[in-house]
Amino acid sequence: MNAPDRRIAVVKTAKEPHGVGARLPFVDGVEKVTGTARYTADMPAANALVGMLLRSPYAHAELLEVDISEAVATPGVRAVITGDACDMPFGVIPIAQNEFPLARDKVRYIGDPIAAVAAVDEATARLAISRIRLRVRELPAYFTAAAARQPGAVLLHDNKPDNIERQVHNEFGDTQAGFAAAELVREETYECAEVHHAMMEPNAALAAWDNERGHLTLWSVTQVPYYVHLTLARCLKMEAAHIRVIKPFVGGGFGHRTESLNFEVICALLARAANGTVRLLQTREETFLSHRGRPESHIRIKLGLTRDGRLTACDAEVVQRGGAYGGYGLVTILYSGALLNGLYDIPAVKYDGYRVYANTPACGAMRGHGTVNIRFAFESLLDSMAAELGLDPFEVRRRNLLQSPTETINGLIITSYGLPDCLDWVESASGWRERKGKLGRGKGLGMACSHFVSGSAKPVHWSGEPHAVIILKLDFDAAVTILTGASDIGQGSSTIITQVVAEVLGIGYHRIRIVANDSAITPKDNGSYSSRVTFMVGNAAADAAENLKRILVASAARRLKVDESEVVWLGEAAAVSGDPERQIPFAEIAEEALVGTGTLTVKGTFTCPPEFQGGKHRGAAVGSSMGFSYTAQAVEVSVDMDLGTVTVDKVWAAIDCGFALNPMSVEGQVQGAVWMGMGQAISEETVYENGRHMAANLLDYRVPTIVESPDIEVHIVESIDPNGPFGAKEASEGPLSGFMSALAAAVEDATGHRFTALPITPLRVFDALHPRGNKKPPPTAKQGDA
Amino acid sequence: MLPDFRLARPQSAAAAVALRAENPGSRFIAGGTDLLPNIRRGLASPEVLIDLGGVAELRELRADDDKLRIGAGVTLATIAADVRIQQRLPALAQAALAVAGPTHRAAATLCGNLCLDTRCQYYNQSESWRTGNQFCMKLVGDICRVAPKSARCYAAFSGDVAPALLVLGATVELLGPQGVRRLPLAEFYRDDGMDWLALGKDEMLYAVEVPLADGWLSTYDKIRIRGAVDFPPVGVAIALRREGEALAELRSACTGASSRPELIDGLEPLVGKPLDEAGLALLDKRLLKCTQPMETTVVPVPYRRRVMPVLARKLLRNLWQG
Repeated sequence: MNAPDRRIAVVKTAKEPHGVGARLPFVDGVEKVTGTARYTADMPAANALVGMLLRSPYAHAELLEVDISEAVATPGVRAVITGDACDMPFGVIPIAQNEFPLARDKVRYIGDPIAAVAAVDEATARLAISRIRLRVRELPAYFTAAAARQPGAVLLHDNKPDNIERQVHNEFGDTQAGFAAAELVREETYECAEVHHAMMEPNAALAAWDNERGHLTLWSVTQVPYYVHLTLARCLKMEAAHIRVIKPFVGGGFGHRTESLNFEVICALLARAANGTVRLLQTREETFLSHRGRPESHIRIKLGLTRDGRLTACDAEVVQRGGAYGGYGLVTILYSGALLNGLYDIPAVKYDGYRVYANTPACGAMRGHGTVNIRFAFESLLDSMAAELGLDPFEVRRRNLLQSPTETINGLIITSYGLPDCLDWVESASGWRERKGKLGRGKGLGMACSHFVSGSAKPVHWSGEPHAVIILKLDFDAAVTILTGASDIGQGSSTIITQVVAEVLGIGYHRIRIVANDSAITPKDNGSYSSRVTFMVGNAAADAAENLKRILVASAARRLKVDESEVVWLGEAAAVSGDPERQIPFAEIAEEALVGTGTLTVKGTFTCPPEFQGGKHRGAAVGSSMGFSYTAQAVEVSVDMDLGTVTVDKVWAAIDCGFALNPMSVEGQVQGAVWMGMGQAISEETVYENGRHMAANLLDYRVPTIVESPDIEVHIVESIDPNGPFGAKEASEGPLSGFMSALAAAVEDATGHRFTALPITPLRVFDALHPRGNKKPPPTAKQGDA
Repeated sequence: MLPDFRLARPQSAAAAVALRAENPGSRFIAGGTDLLPNIRRGLASPEVLIDLGGVAELRELRADDDKLRIGAGVTLATIAADVRIQQRLPALAQAALAVAGPTHRAAATLCGNLCLDTRCQYYNQSESWRTGNQFCMKLVGDICRVAPKSARCYAAFSGDVAPALLVLGATVELLGPQGVRRLPLAEFYRDDGMDWLALGKDEMLYAVEVPLADGWLSTYDKIRIRGAVDFPPVGVAIALRREGEALAELRSACTGASSRPELIDGLEPLVGKPLDEAGLALLDKRLLKCTQPMETTVVPVPYRRRVMPVLARKLLRNLWQG
């Protein structure tokens, strides 16, 4: 896995750094671009059976009978399983586990898995699936949060009255006093359509059951092999020690895979039932039905401003249609409230959040988890109010900056804050002062800010272990092998870890290889989510490398017959201080290090201190982090004033990522985040008709194409966070959530209309430009329009 | 999953047509960009696929003095890149370029786009999706999901090239066992989502002839949510000839708005005088009269009905003003 054994070229830069700070191509990039990378669906498995699912055609129904007799009797079928195969509910949050891999008693959305088949080939599996008979009693089904909350609505889950999975009510500071002190108070509602990750690689799992030992090996597309491991042990009632989870190359995740998904458990259950190896490939449609995306959100927000633009109070209510199961839902609704803070200095914040069950695929974590839609609302309203006060969008934000270091009213600790520099660059690069409001009819500029955590300071499973562990192995070959459980899902974490180790040890990349994500070999890692890997695993990697370096320096001293203090560490060699001719190469140092002890394994760890783990209130852990990234961005658009088509011409994004361990990777992450935000802003939305997904394919679910993709200019601000590895913080989620409101502001600049609903499709813009009953578009008054 | 089928690879159009006649369960395949996804979804299950890739005569593209003859197997990429077509028949080049994405156009052919299966959000779904929705009359089911009381299917014709060729006055050559017959392109289509082509079971679309008359200006564009890949929620083609300050001839056609590409009639009052607001208003009216967009896509009908005349006006004004 992910183990390059070649010399990796470092892209030359003016400074030519070769450890951290280098524009290093991804260590696993060659495999990907040459097509030799093996993904789960490519894993060789002789005689693997074909797994297939029967999914519910009903949005909400009691399962009275699942008759599999004909399916079982079909020649070539090796196993047919139903909800009877597993009576242990699972879910990523220990207090919200209410999903069975295969439905028992009830189905709760169209697509809920009911039965699974393992057969000798696909045609046989398909035939067997078609022979399964269902008897159900249909129940009233709810497709909006409002419908699900109506009095008397049938409950999706018996223990959750009013179909509310979690409600959050927090007030920090005195909002009443804040609004009383304000000179302008405005309230507005915002609607955000549900969006999906649409990652490149559809879901897939491969499970091998070793009948002699009763052991299981599972390969999956997951971002969180450790959680999958725990879930398999739970649902299959197995010893964790008898399970091995391997994550091969993964083609993106964006949050879809930050929790164990039903197909992974089903694949394992099938393999055990069939006493063999089962490959379960999911279609794109099924991947859409597994969903876990950003929920449809209804947001009401009220802000108070003084005449000179100082925020006095914020009052927000967020209602999320969470779908049929818990998943990460309670974290999502908590994030929406928690990260109202941490971007600007707000003296008082009240937040009411409602996560509501409905008969649609379960929502979950998606890039910018929980913070994106509320940021759209906040930034949009701030812009509108600033305009009322005659304040420039940059200016109103500058008047509300935090002073770092600081602790917010809800207990978030801010240790580095590069937002002012981000604002300055974006304002200048976009030509804001000269161009805003002066581009003419159909052209516009808008801007917004955003932030995100560098990993959650308190892990989901609080076990007392460090947040991250890295192992370095040094052996007779003088190679340094990094063993990590951190999941590289395309974001480049293996590259970052490698760079950190290379930097600390000072050795060449040809000496380093990285082996990742095999539970039998690599240390546990919580997984790739909430932008935790660079910060936490990066710190653990630096710690491990420091520990190894200490041993190596001591070994060099022994071999050179000098005191340790006299060793000059050169990375690929060590020399004697004041006598550079007296030196020994790395291989000799390694040889000495192994004397009397043999193969060295050195560990490094990282733990977030308790003071960073949030305030005392319920749910305070969500949003707490040791470092926050900051982004400012400006968006320039053209709007076809006849047809309503919005074209994004250019984006300027400045990110404070603390320190760019790999600037090329940071730029890629920022561009990807901005681009993903653009999809949500202009074209992406799931569409359900009576709970049936009408756009569960990449033709009707409109991810932007290269035609829509603008030039995205990225500027890196390095605030050097005191706790991040070499000062680094996250870079890949924060830049997403500013895009929508920046675009809405740009469209307003171009058309005079402020859109409060996402996505801002040609349909919505057309309707605004051509109000019904009026054939002519309204004249748009604009500054600078001659 | 692609089901089992036999693949035939004839070397001539005559042999292909003979194979088609011998195998009632067969389908022609050229680029396959429409047919293969449909086969994977269980929308078509041919026992025999007759691959036209080996028939060189279908790839002929020839210009005479007064007409262009395009073989049915010419790719959309070739049409879009052809300088003669760009200069003399711009609507056709624009329409070919408007189809899907570059990789599709490299494989997709003229005949494939003209014979494109009609589309509907209740039809272009997987087998399990349609099973769960109890099918529709276009395949297996009894009723039309967009018009449940209707006796007919309203699936929409969604090809981009047909409306361009309609306004350019194209004729099609159909090859059958008895030889070639010619039809004006407008007569090649029927307003029925299940039976939208006047193509005999043993016939193939062999070639298209487009007049190269002087003085014609033409254009095609479609409504898009994205700048590539999308089928047209509606698309509009316009061709006109100008004599001094007067509009001498005008043709307009739509796609995505009915089960066939619609050549818009009743535009005669615009002719013989300069283009004016009254003329544009009549065009609005005729477009809405001649088309019937139904809920065949996730893009809703009211928008498609309202935006279609706006697009047509924009195209016409631009052509008129040169």
